[in-house]
Amino acid sequence: MGIKIEDLTVTFRNDVTAVNHADLEIPKGIFGLLGENGAGKTTLMRVLTTVLSPTSGTVTLDGMFYSEGNFEKIRRKIGYLPQEIDLYPSLSVQECLEYMGDLSGIPRQTYKERINYYLEKTNLSEHRRKKMKQLSGGMKRRVGLIQALLNEPEFLIVDEPTTGLDPEERIRIRNLLVDFSEGRTVLFSTHVVEDLVATCNQLAVMKNGKFLYSGNMKELLEQARGHIWICKTKEEGTARELEKQYHVSSKQYVGDELQMKLISETPPQMECSSCEATLEDAYIYLMNKEPHNAKYGAAH
Amino acid sequence: MREMKISLTFQKQAYAVFFAVILSLVRGVTYSNEIGIALEAPMAILAFTFCADTYVQEIASKRSEIWRLCPMKKRMNSIYRRMVMQVMFLLAVAAASYGLFFLFQNPSIYGMEQSGLKIEICQFFVYFAAIAVTLGFWGLLSNLVSCLFRNMWAGIGGCMVLWLITNSTIGDRIFGAWNLFSYSFRELEDSSDFSWIYGKVVCIVIGIMAVAVLPKIIQKRG
Repeated sequence: MGIKIEDLTVTFRNDVTAVNHADLEIPKGIFGLLGENGAGKTTLMRVLTTVLSPTSGTVTLDGMFYSEGNFEKIRRKIGYLPQEIDLYPSLSVQECLEYMGDLSGIPRQTYKERINYYLEKTNLSEHRRKKMKQLSGGMKRRVGLIQALLNEPEFLIVDEPTTGLDPEERIRIRNLLVDFSEGRTVLFSTHVVEDLVATCNQLAVMKNGKFLYSGNMKELLEQARGHIWICKTKEEGTARELEKQYHVSSKQYVGDELQMKLISETPPQMECSSCEATLEDAYIYLMNKEPHNAKYGAAH
Repeated sequence: MREMKISLTFQKQAYAVFFAVILSLVRGVTYSNEIGIALEAPMAILAFTFCADTYVQEIASKRSEIWRLCPMKKRMNSIYRRMVMQVMFLLAVAAASYGLFFLFQNPSIYGMEQSGLKIEICQFFVYFAAIAVTLGFWGLLSNLVSCLFRNMWAGIGGCMVLWLITNSTIGDRIFGAWNLFSYSFRELEDSSDFSWIYGKVVCIVIGIMAVAVLPKIIQKRG
């Protein structure tokens, strides 16, 4: 069943349209959400958590319509980790999570067991007595994630859960989300493309309040196939010229040569070879694949 | 205990105690029956600044979006527990302030013989009852206005305006015994005059209305 969004529009009082006639189906499992800053991802998530009411359009969760009468039932099924959250600085980690458990109406014994389990899973057990204000940004993020998981929601929405985490912790959190997603829906919004590659098969890409792509990751990579090129040059002038003409998704010095990865519909007008597209390349390709894009035009 | 740590932070406790000590040092009183008058209006200011962030701290810290997912009953219980703890703390400060006035201002008392002591004790309990209503009222009102505008300063500002109106000669003239500060404007010479209770009844009625309206505001405004 999952979540179904139909013709969703959110316009604020200042006439800014953050989500513009968007349609999306989010199935069970982890679903990635990518998009540039200001694309409308957070607004969409705020609608899905019932914090914001849409201007028009409909949203259903497991067939249940988002309406005033259903909000209480829907909210019980949702767990949410917002992008920015400052959990009670004067409470310890344990107290903070117990407070959130109480507030969610979970029986004491149940939330205590879950807190122990998730503290262990997120490598925070030894920090449980520390005050929230004493924690690092990454630790706070992990506590934030635990509070979202505490009521074992059917629909988990996480907005950049891996921000501020070191590589080892990121892997730990990703694995936790994958385990958690079994039989549930997890909407995973992030700017860290690697996190999506490691966790999801399905994703959507947002731009200017609309979905540019929604579907399988392999198909997205397929779209970019044949449009990613590797060029090498020793001359700085040539490199600058290439940067002007094409989207450069990466560059690095290999010996005395500058190796550049270019995104172009047609082969660049210099010696180059085609290469496999990563999700990052595919994302850049998609974001800039517009009919009147100057950089794509330059290659024709 | 958790609510206490959230709503009664060290900084808040410190400024409340500091406020009470300074007030009892600088505000002169001649007779012991003036202590209540000296304390009521300033304690009202302390109450509405103290309680203004009871809920809106959740908005400022972006926790309100998570709060929205919790059952309404649980959310309201937590807010009311915070409110009760804050008012109880302020009540303890108000009672201690009464003692500090005796300590620093050395007012004339009714004597230490049995009847004099009885009058002093009776006077304190009347003050305690009046200040309890005052603290509860201003605390609830500032929290309500803050929630309505989702801003702590709106709560403090709104209450300040009402405070200036009611704690003035004009307010006394307009509202009389029904004034929110009727206890401060009571006839000191006539200790049998309890008509100021009307003003406290107004406080209680508005306070009950604030308690009744708050869940709707929280639900609507989050």
